[in-house]
Amino acid sequence: MTALLLAEFRDPETLIAAARRAREAGWKGLDAHTPFAVPELVEALGLPPARIRPIMLGAGVAAAVLTFALCWYSAVISYPLNLGGRPLNSWPTFLVLCFEAGVLAAALAGFVAFFAFSGLPRLHHPLFAARDFDRASQDAFFLAVQDPKVDAGRLALLLDGLGPVSVREVAQ
Amino acid sequence: MSPRGGGTEGLLPRSTSYGALVGLVADALMRRNVGWRWYAAFGVTLAMTLMLAGCVTWLFLRGLGIFGNNTAVVWGFPIANYVWWIGIGNAGTFISAALLLTRQPWRAAINRFAEVMTIFAVAIAGLFPILHLGRPEYAYWLAPYPNVMGLWPQWRSALVWDFAAIISYLIFSLLFWYLGLIPDMATLRDRARTRLGQVAYGVLAMGWRGSARHWQLHDAVYRALAVMALPLVVSVHSVAAMDFSASPMPGWQETIFPPYFVVGALFSGFGMVIVLTALVRLGLGLQAVITPRHFEVMGKIVLACSIGMGLSYATEWFYAWSLGSRAELVHLHKLFGGEYTPLYLTMLACNLLAPQILWIPQARRNILVVVCVAIVLNVGMWLERILIIWNTLSHGHLPSMWSVFWPSIFDWLVLAGSLGFFAMMFLCFARLLPAVAMHDLGKLLRERRKES
Amino acid sequence: MTPLLGRRQAALGLLASALTLTSCGEPEEEILPYVNKPDGLTPGVSQRFATSLPMGGYARGVLATTYEGRPVKLEGNPRHPASQGATDLFTEAAILSLYDPDRSRSLRREGRVDTWERFEAALLPRLAAAEANGGEGLRLLTGHLTSPTLLRLIGALRERFPAMHWHVYEPVAETAARRGAELAFGTPLTVLPRLQRARVILTLDADPLGPGPEQIRHNRAFAAIRTARRDNPGGLARLYAVEPVFSNTGAKADHRLALAPAGLRDFAVALAVRLGADLPVPALPEPAARFLDAVAQDLQAARGAALVLAGPWAPPEMQALVHWINDRLEAPVDHLPPPSGQPEDLAALAGALRGGAMDTLVIIDANPAYDAPADLDFAGALRDTDAFTVHLGPWRGETGALCRWHLPQHHPLEDWADLRASDGTASIAQPLIRPLYATRSAAWLLGLMRGRLSLESYAAVRETWAAQWPAESFEATWRRVLHDGVVPDSAATPLPRPAARAPALPPAPEAGLTLLLRPDPTVWDGRHANNPWLQECPKPLTRQVWGNAALMAPAEAERHGLREGDVVQLHAGGRMLEAPVLPLPGMAPGVAMLSLGYGRRQAGAIGNDLGANAYALRRQDALWELPGLRLVPAGRREEILRLQEMHRLEGEAQELLPERAFTDLLEHPLEPEPEEPPASIFKPLEPDAPVAWGMVIDTTLCTGCNACVVACQAENNVPVVGPGDVAKGRDMHWLRIDTYWHGPEAQPRPGFQPVPCMHCEAAPCEPVCPVAASVHDAEGLNVQVYNRCIGTRFCQGNCPYKVRRFNFHGYADGQEYANQGEPIVAAHYNPDVTVRGRGVMEKCTYCVQRISAARRQAEKEDRPIAEGEVRTACQSACPAQAIQFGDLRKAEAAVSRLRHEPQHYALLGHLGTRPRTTYLAQVRNPNPALEEPEA
Repeated sequence: MTALLLAEFRDPETLIAAARRAREAGWKGLDAHTPFAVPELVEALGLPPARIRPIMLGAGVAAAVLTFALCWYSAVISYPLNLGGRPLNSWPTFLVLCFEAGVLAAALAGFVAFFAFSGLPRLHHPLFAARDFDRASQDAFFLAVQDPKVDAGRLALLLDGLGPVSVREVAQ
Repeated sequence: MSPRGGGTEGLLPRSTSYGALVGLVADALMRRNVGWRWYAAFGVTLAMTLMLAGCVTWLFLRGLGIFGNNTAVVWGFPIANYVWWIGIGNAGTFISAALLLTRQPWRAAINRFAEVMTIFAVAIAGLFPILHLGRPEYAYWLAPYPNVMGLWPQWRSALVWDFAAIISYLIFSLLFWYLGLIPDMATLRDRARTRLGQVAYGVLAMGWRGSARHWQLHDAVYRALAVMALPLVVSVHSVAAMDFSASPMPGWQETIFPPYFVVGALFSGFGMVIVLTALVRLGLGLQAVITPRHFEVMGKIVLACSIGMGLSYATEWFYAWSLGSRAELVHLHKLFGGEYTPLYLTMLACNLLAPQILWIPQARRNILVVVCVAIVLNVGMWLERILIIWNTLSHGHLPSMWSVFWPSIFDWLVLAGSLGFFAMMFLCFARLLPAVAMHDLGKLLRERRKES
Repeated sequence: MTPLLGRRQAALGLLASALTLTSCGEPEEEILPYVNKPDGLTPGVSQRFATSLPMGGYARGVLATTYEGRPVKLEGNPRHPASQGATDLFTEAAILSLYDPDRSRSLRREGRVDTWERFEAALLPRLAAAEANGGEGLRLLTGHLTSPTLLRLIGALRERFPAMHWHVYEPVAETAARRGAELAFGTPLTVLPRLQRARVILTLDADPLGPGPEQIRHNRAFAAIRTARRDNPGGLARLYAVEPVFSNTGAKADHRLALAPAGLRDFAVALAVRLGADLPVPALPEPAARFLDAVAQDLQAARGAALVLAGPWAPPEMQALVHWINDRLEAPVDHLPPPSGQPEDLAALAGALRGGAMDTLVIIDANPAYDAPADLDFAGALRDTDAFTVHLGPWRGETGALCRWHLPQHHPLEDWADLRASDGTASIAQPLIRPLYATRSAAWLLGLMRGRLSLESYAAVRETWAAQWPAESFEATWRRVLHDGVVPDSAATPLPRPAARAPALPPAPEAGLTLLLRPDPTVWDGRHANNPWLQECPKPLTRQVWGNAALMAPAEAERHGLREGDVVQLHAGGRMLEAPVLPLPGMAPGVAMLSLGYGRRQAGAIGNDLGANAYALRRQDALWELPGLRLVPAGRREEILRLQEMHRLEGEAQELLPERAFTDLLEHPLEPEPEEPPASIFKPLEPDAPVAWGMVIDTTLCTGCNACVVACQAENNVPVVGPGDVAKGRDMHWLRIDTYWHGPEAQPRPGFQPVPCMHCEAAPCEPVCPVAASVHDAEGLNVQVYNRCIGTRFCQGNCPYKVRRFNFHGYADGQEYANQGEPIVAAHYNPDVTVRGRGVMEKCTYCVQRISAARRQAEKEDRPIAEGEVRTACQSACPAQAIQFGDLRKAEAAVSRLRHEPQHYALLGHLGTRPRTTYLAQVRNPNPALEEPEA
């Protein structure tokens, strides 16, 4: 079982620098924990792109099409009625519903996809046990490394000059 | 609107730190004791909410006749209240989404409770179309569900669109709001001292660890939702407008209605946000992060909307005059020479005149002034909603069926009750959840540090 | 509708059976079907019986629809001369009075419930004693009677008591008319004007088209001479009206002159002088003089077809004058022999009551304690007398409460009777339902007094006619008469035209403000006050409901600083009455008008304490005209409940109810509305059934009599909402008569426009309903599916005609007004029509239940529905036949032909709604000599 190492920083910029170094060192299992989004980390840690939006688009379009199908079927086939002489297939009036349904479906899909991809909800995680990790959601910026060929010493060495507040190993 | 000086100018305290910002917001919930003011406010609003419940019970017992509606003016307060509340509900999500996409730094401090305002307002708005039904117990017939009669909703009706729009918008807003809330839940989880707090916030945080991957996915979804939010917001109030404009009645049958309603929605919505901003700022002592600059920019938007409203009214009058159809002319004549004219003029004063004071920079920066304008314009907007209904239905095509609407006591009680209900829910929110998005404040601080 | 028909029928079936139970008073615990089904009776299938209803003693023949022995609807009997297949609002509303919860159900002595045996035990000895002095001290009071049987029984009674006094009292009597005839001809002849034979008519404060026993006959006759059609050879007859108040007749007049009584009298005299009367010529002011010139010329030109009419309220001298004028004009008037046996009047009775010159008084179906002139103080006399007083009536009322004994009487629909129409035609009224309560008939009481115990009215009526018809064919004749509803050729034969004596000068009315009293258009003399349909029926012109008001010209009101709703004290003849003021354009200056029949104290839950009691001012010497009126503002206000404000149509608004002169009708026809749907990229859905129902309403013929409004209410189970909800601006009428005012303020010309649902092809109400409760059926009806409606009211909001009505409360569903929730009231419901619940929208259905009945019949017989087979309730009620209904696909159908008349138009047609209900504009026949240029 490879150890999980945490290096704590006081500001996002140094964290980014550290992340770059770690990546250039070719280390695996890199991650970071920050109180707010730090977009640069995606590139710095070389994270794979998030493929959520195509899913949302797909869900939205599908819902819209289904809604139109429902309107058309119920108004033309299932229970045709003369309403003020309007044609049975008054498609322009159906479109509003298609739009609303599409947006709703897309939003739900995105919401679900977010949890699926991020592995949440997960209420228990070893990191929570780490000392001071509670500040990861407030004012501390952590670099996490989980690589068999890396230990605390090498990490400290790598981060030389960036002045991490602490480098420690998380008990598993 | 381009912020003067640095983008973050005047939005954050001179010297502060990430931790300090978090503390500023979180402590309002966790440390400081509540104080009698909150309890007093809660008590009052709770009473009003109970009154609302009482009225609704009476409504279901005695039937719709307890309201002032009559044979010709079949719609009354409930519909006006609905349009008003849904309008208010439009601003929250719009502010949050639009400002996010346009990278407005001043979004950070206000987007959270603006979203909450949306959710509560839309929820209340959704009540009214049901309460105003003759047989509310059958409201669910508007939904397509398998039934032995093989019956369906009537898709051509704007009310069905309404039904769909309200529901989608409500759910959408909840998702959008909760997604933004998750990181802050983690923050509160980690700051909570009590076991209950840790568990409750912990569960709501869903194990958020602020990992780079989390943030990446979060950003992707959140921005996508923001992009969808804008057309959705527009559609919701356009549909509300079609309840009227898709009809042959004088004063309703106008193509200007959807945009006109959307502008009106933002107008009243921003008005309500301004009021809430002032309350939150005071109540939670957030003067540090909610600054006069917030009020100034929102004041500018209100001013812009007010001009938009003016254009809409003018267009209405011009239509009526240029179409020259008898009914339209009668309607126009009744606007300025009918039973409701005093109200109509009041409405014009509230919506068009009052905001003009915001041309003056000093006034814009004076929180009190901006808040007063906001309150006045919301009164005006409610008047506008009720007058759209009254003026048209009271003076239809046939003079024989002209009649004046006299509100009943229940009309007023229900309106007041809905305000109390809204206020009560908002008070609870301010006590239990972070009124300001802490992670957004963090981002904002980082931006400022980059600037300098 | 079609897919839902099955469920709807089922619901109706249940309803029908439930109602039958409540109505026939059988135990509610257990429901059993017929053990032996009566012959010819199919449960759920209606039967129709001919019978007659009295009004002012005269008969109006009706056909009653009954379900399982429960009458639910009355329509006119085509064979009867007084109804000719049509009805008036009183006939239509009679059904509800039958089921009135306030009807007297038990015999009372001094107010306490008692038994019939005890009553007989009390009465018979007195009669026996009275025989000694020939019945001196025995007095009988009735309303105006034409019933051969009752007259025969009274005659028989007189044989037993030669000295008995018989008094007759009607609040709206024809006494003046008879006296006038006596002055003119020497005998009190009955004078019957024949409007259908007239070309020029002048009414001098007469209202032949207004309410009254002859309303239907006159309306039909008038319609016959006022029907404007492309191929109408004779053109239109011309109507002039000179009157102080605004009557329905005045509303239909080509030229109307508002004159106070004094001016009216001068006008009549001047006219007589023109025709050669030897009378001093009164000076006529303009414009009366100009008016007179034109009228006199017209009348003389139309000699033989010129007719002048005076109202029953005109003084005898005026009546005589008019008779003489008609004589000179050889007017189309029939003279019938006077009724035999002149009874005494009410004054004599009151005198006797006070003088104590009587020991027994029997009052049959009269209510003098309420409607006697105030100066008689009849109620006081009745209260103070120690005579043996008996009151027999369907309602206890003010009089029953003051009499020692009150006996509950059958409702006319529960009793055997015979009646005569004004032209003498006799008809036999048969009961439609077993008496609901332990009541008795007038015949029984008269029989009892005669000494004949338990005389059934059935037997009495048969005896009467057995004496007239040959015995061998009696049964056959009897059956035929019952079936037809009229006794063949029983009408009186007109006398040769009697010469009218030279007229005397009518007395000059006092100058100054005058209060005129008139019968009320909806509650008549007050006997209908407890009928909610009539109370909520908007009065013609004012459209007031649930009360009366002092009507006066706007200028007059202004002169006294009065606005609508101000309560004013009316001081006249030393008496005072408070009433709210209602300004009405067209009232003559110097007069105020108050209608009789309100301010009742013991009418019942509906009629009590509504409006002002005009009888409190009435005097024997001033029954209709109270000079020396003083108006004193009372300093308070009273809301006047009206279903429509006064609306003058000016400029473009005239498109709503256009006016045309008959002469330039063909030259300038109304531009026809496009039959085709407005252009659209979408192909509209057209109803595809072989029939396409449509309706055309001729506003020229409509006299605003309201028969259709009440007929619709009766046919379609339309509930009343009560004054409280009316004040909130709510009402439930499916059919309303919009009243608009044309012409200058000084010379207003009201127009009546009945507005049912338009059944638009492109109905704005339908696409907006979220649950498809408002849909179109294959035959083009716009139908409302009550059990699908959730009450969004979007449909009504979108309806340009605002013809839909919403159940804001459970008006027929647990929240009924006053006593309308009592089980017995439910008995009037038409089982073929759903009773709507709270929170649903409802509207005119073109009487879809009648359509589907006709369709079922036609399908059974495998034939198409014939033209005229379906008649809507409003159509069959209309005495002027102003409403036509039928199949637009048939070119020869009446509706199709009317749609091609030059004055045909669609209301708000420019909206593209393509209504199925369309109108014929108002056509007038003005006299060029009097046409003042429109301001």
